Amino acid sequence: MSPLLALILLPIAGAVFGLAGFPARKAAITAAALNLVACVALLASYQFDQGGFQFLSSCPALPSLGISFTLGADGLSLGMLLLSTVVTLAAVCVARAPQNNVHWFYASLLFISAGAIGAFASVDAFFFYMFHELALIPTFLLIGIWGSGDRQAAAWKITVYLAFGSFVLLIGLIGLYLSMPVGARSFDMRAIAEHAQMGTLFAHDTVHSFSIFGFEYLSITHAQVVYLLLFLGFGVLVSLFPFHTWAPQAYASAPAPAAMLHAGVLKKFGLYGIIRLVTPIFPPHIASPFNTLLLVLLLGNILYVGLVTISQRKLDLMLGYSSVMHMGYIFLGLVAWNQIGLNGAAFMLIAHGLSIAALFALSGELRERTGTLDFGELGGLAKVVPTFGLLFGFAAMASIGLPGFANFAGELMVFFGAFSAGVPSRDSFFNNFQIATVIAVWGVVISAVYMLRAYRRIFMGPLVDRWKSLAEIAPLPKLCVAGLILLLLVVGFCPQLLLNLISPALIRP
Amino acid sequence: MNAATVPWIILFTPLIAAVVILFFGKYSKPFSAGVAIGAALICGFLSWWLFGQPDATVANSFSWLSLPGGFTIPIGVTVDHLSKVMLVVVNTIAPIVFIYSLGYMAHEEGYWRYFAGLSLFLFSMLGIVLADNFLMMFIFWELVGVSSYILIGHYYSKDSAADASKQAFLVNRIGDFGFMLGILTFWGLTGSVVFSEIFQKIPALETHGLYLAIACVLIFCGTVGKSAQLPLHVWLPNSMEGPTPVSSLLHAATMVAAGVYMLARFFPVLEHVPDARLVIAWVGGITCLAAGLMATQQNDIKRILAYSTISQLGYMVLGVGVAETWDVPMFHLFTHAFFKCLLFLCAGSVIVSMHHEQDIWKMGALKNKMPFTFLCTIAGTLALTGFGFGSFGFSGFYSKDLIILWALAKSPFLGWIAVLTAGLTAFYMFRLLIVVFLSIPRSEEAKKAHESPLIMVIPLILLALPAIGAGWPFIEHIFFKTTEPTDVPHIVHFALLAMFLGGAGLAWALYARAVKDPVFIPLFANRLYIDYLYTWIVKVFHDGLAWLAGWADRWIVDLFVAQIPSKLTWACGYVMRFLQIGNIQAYAFFFGAGVVGLIYLLIAR
Amino acid sequence: MTPTLAHYLIVSGVLFTIGLAGVMLRRNIIIIFMCLELMLNAANLSLVAFSRYNLSMEGMPNYNGQVLVFFIITVAAAEVAVGLAIIVALFRARQTTHVEDLDRMKF
Repeated sequence: MSPLLALILLPIAGAVFGLAGFPARKAAITAAALNLVACVALLASYQFDQGGFQFLSSCPALPSLGISFTLGADGLSLGMLLLSTVVTLAAVCVARAPQNNVHWFYASLLFISAGAIGAFASVDAFFFYMFHELALIPTFLLIGIWGSGDRQAAAWKITVYLAFGSFVLLIGLIGLYLSMPVGARSFDMRAIAEHAQMGTLFAHDTVHSFSIFGFEYLSITHAQVVYLLLFLGFGVLVSLFPFHTWAPQAYASAPAPAAMLHAGVLKKFGLYGIIRLVTPIFPPHIASPFNTLLLVLLLGNILYVGLVTISQRKLDLMLGYSSVMHMGYIFLGLVAWNQIGLNGAAFMLIAHGLSIAALFALSGELRERTGTLDFGELGGLAKVVPTFGLLFGFAAMASIGLPGFANFAGELMVFFGAFSAGVPSRDSFFNNFQIATVIAVWGVVISAVYMLRAYRRIFMGPLVDRWKSLAEIAPLPKLCVAGLILLLLVVGFCPQLLLNLISPALIRP
Repeated sequence: MNAATVPWIILFTPLIAAVVILFFGKYSKPFSAGVAIGAALICGFLSWWLFGQPDATVANSFSWLSLPGGFTIPIGVTVDHLSKVMLVVVNTIAPIVFIYSLGYMAHEEGYWRYFAGLSLFLFSMLGIVLADNFLMMFIFWELVGVSSYILIGHYYSKDSAADASKQAFLVNRIGDFGFMLGILTFWGLTGSVVFSEIFQKIPALETHGLYLAIACVLIFCGTVGKSAQLPLHVWLPNSMEGPTPVSSLLHAATMVAAGVYMLARFFPVLEHVPDARLVIAWVGGITCLAAGLMATQQNDIKRILAYSTISQLGYMVLGVGVAETWDVPMFHLFTHAFFKCLLFLCAGSVIVSMHHEQDIWKMGALKNKMPFTFLCTIAGTLALTGFGFGSFGFSGFYSKDLIILWALAKSPFLGWIAVLTAGLTAFYMFRLLIVVFLSIPRSEEAKKAHESPLIMVIPLILLALPAIGAGWPFIEHIFFKTTEPTDVPHIVHFALLAMFLGGAGLAWALYARAVKDPVFIPLFANRLYIDYLYTWIVKVFHDGLAWLAGWADRWIVDLFVAQIPSKLTWACGYVMRFLQIGNIQAYAFFFGAGVVGLIYLLIAR
Repeated sequence: MTPTLAHYLIVSGVLFTIGLAGVMLRRNIIIIFMCLELMLNAANLSLVAFSRYNLSMEGMPNYNGQVLVFFIITVAAAEVAVGLAIIVALFRARQTTHVEDLDRMKF
């Protein structure tokens, strides 16, 4: 059996054991821990000097359509797999067993993990897509059944939204499939990239013109339609402005481990998909007409959603919006379409996954203890729960991109990548990308405003009497969050550790 | 031990200390203090040793982050004369303040947090000093910001302290925004972030005059934030909410001077960009005057000193703008670090004996009760006001007058602003001295005050010596190679002496017997209303905009991307369900009609 | 006059139309059901006629049509069994066999 298949099946096995009557929490933690160990072992056995996809295993599923169940991992996938397994372990450890259907609760968490791992380990675009869809079902259940607040509306919203995004994506995938020459069509991502290199992808590109009263208002090639469909499809999955309103609501309602898994891992699917599927195959002349549009949208993420984040009065909503905002940076790195930006985006995927998981874990713990996340009701908590405050401080600083944490290195690469993108302009004034970079750098100030404001309201100031006997964070969640922060620090101090892993996978011709 | 590894040891010792204190400090107070002081002493010893070594011009860096495309961010140290001088300044003052903290913080809580923060600060500050490229400097620039956040917020339960720490961090981030853009612009222009490589390429870029000027001004934004220049000065007075040793080390002697150090480091570029230097000179000049005016009407002992710090930093920035070499502003940084640190520690000593009363109008006649503190304050005051004439004076006399002379030589207007500010300095410092130590006791605490413990007095004396003598020419020549401008009218020396005597005399006349402040100038007491303006802007524009965005997100964006599609789908369903009339024969009819329609479409067309 | 294919098809068409009209217009579900059978048998008639008049080279009828007729008869028998059972069950539940009364399957 392929080691990657084992990685997918382990959480499922954990879920099955839990459903079969074994203690659900123990089964889930065991499965997640084993999976982390397996992933680290996989990382250790990856041949770095060889590079490329390894641990390949393939089994034809629908040969007539060129679909086969192919698993494989290169440096980037391994990084994402590591992120998934780490966050899964943290999520199941942090999870508080609910009152009802405990085993289904843990099984759902593990299914999300299995879906994410499957997506990141797939080489075949069809299964890549399918695994993500698979993970949406347990997300729906987790929010709808064990969530808080207006949980059912939130669950419906996220599910319909993501299904819509996936649908757009699917059309894009089919369009991509159809633009390969008949007989050589395949969903295998390596084959698609190869077609793109040999020039057989979009070889017979057709122009679609739309006109009213003889006035042509839109003229677009097939390749560009596919590009837009893929980018926007993935974009909706990653809450690209203005398709972001599902995210804060869903994360605020979701139980903490579900929010950790979705915001930290599953949402990264869309960005990973753009890096993996879109960037290697579209030459700049197809992509560049949409640069301005995409820049405007992603600046909407950074600036507009940043302002929305500032206006939030509840920690959970604020964290949800902040995770939407940070997606803007990653998009900026992707749209920059160069080596530095791409590396920065991939780096931020992992860094943001770890930091937002830590923040959601802490906010979930806080909600368990106080029953409210309203800034107006909290205050001065650092006095009674200093360790809590310290950990939250670390996670908040990581999230606003303080040097020393991984997020900083990612943001830095994104800024440099974006600044050097576009038409080289040593002699002319700022081009679009450079203006966008200026605004994006202002986003760093915005994120500091809302994070520090939250920290100020919750942990600093005079202690509110209600919380005089608040209990300190429990040992296991403390350990998990500390582990996430430690990882962020290690990667932040030596970004080359992670870059050596991911950057060979990001070299574009 | 060689000159290549010692800088790294100096850099990382405080970080190790901070981590050790973070993990084990809470178990023992003496342990945390011991680790921090030990690390600072090691740094101090090594810095002096390094100062005796010849300049190591050998590249001493490794790549922190590098990408296949050739993009590399190195981490490396420069050990040139500039960084060695700064190392000596930082690492001499730091251990003294750390030791002083033993006394000052003896009865405070959060001991380990305090010392961990101080060690983290020392690490970050040394990183700025040793950085050999812009990005490394930026990294540590942000880190001093966060250590300052931690330390200002030491008494986080107080609303004012919590707000002050937040404000300090945010205002610095605004400066860092410009700094980052400046780094990006320079990288765009030269393709490098390393100082030495940028310096090499600058002469070739002189045709891009405007871009260079913009890039330099953007970099200067970092200084405006960190060194509290107008218009980003508001955080520094508020940062006085932190413990006094913190104000002394971070917010007077070293951290706020980092902005000036950065400009000095960057001087080889500035030399080629006169436009940017003009901006820098004006910002410095205006800051030094405005802060001096604001200082005259403050009543909090630490705030007076804080505004004085802003004013002095304004002098240094002015010096960067007008002087011929970086030695001139750095010389003032050097002397200022000692005497301002001394003044803050004296203020701390007073505050402790007054049971944390900071209002100078509750003090008075402390000179007999706290003789050592009194004498040290006099030394600091005379140094700050630049007392001296001819060829002898206190340290500030040499360094500040040098900047004033350069300013007069380059731009008479700015020069006379600087001269006027010297008079203001004398006025507000003697106001402080007279009201606190002379005149009459104004409260019970002032009557019962007593000298601080020895562990606080000894650092005062240790600092008083350089405050008096650090500017003497034979000491100056060890550290700096300053030159005086040639074409300055001689009358300025007399003008400066007159300013000193006038300021001090006016203070004596007004305050010698005053019970409460006889002068009230609302404009200065309210800090030119700048703080209110900012509060208003933040409240109305920023929060208003945020509120508007939040509202729009809830009601407009969500309306278009979620509510309307959802309602539209529902409406379609509502219309379609009228076809479901429940009559089986109607369904059969629809079915048949559909079949006929299909047949028509397939065959007849 | 010997009957031709056209005669058979006309009869079949008339039968089919009668059946269709019954299905569309009658209200009693049993009558509708019988009309449905009538339509099936109209189809059977035309199939048999096609088989009889579409001779091969050797003068043999085309058996494909007749085989299909047997299939239809079988399916119709099964359908009657199931359909009548449903109608009986429906009558027991609702005491009616009129389609106007059976309109619960709407919004």
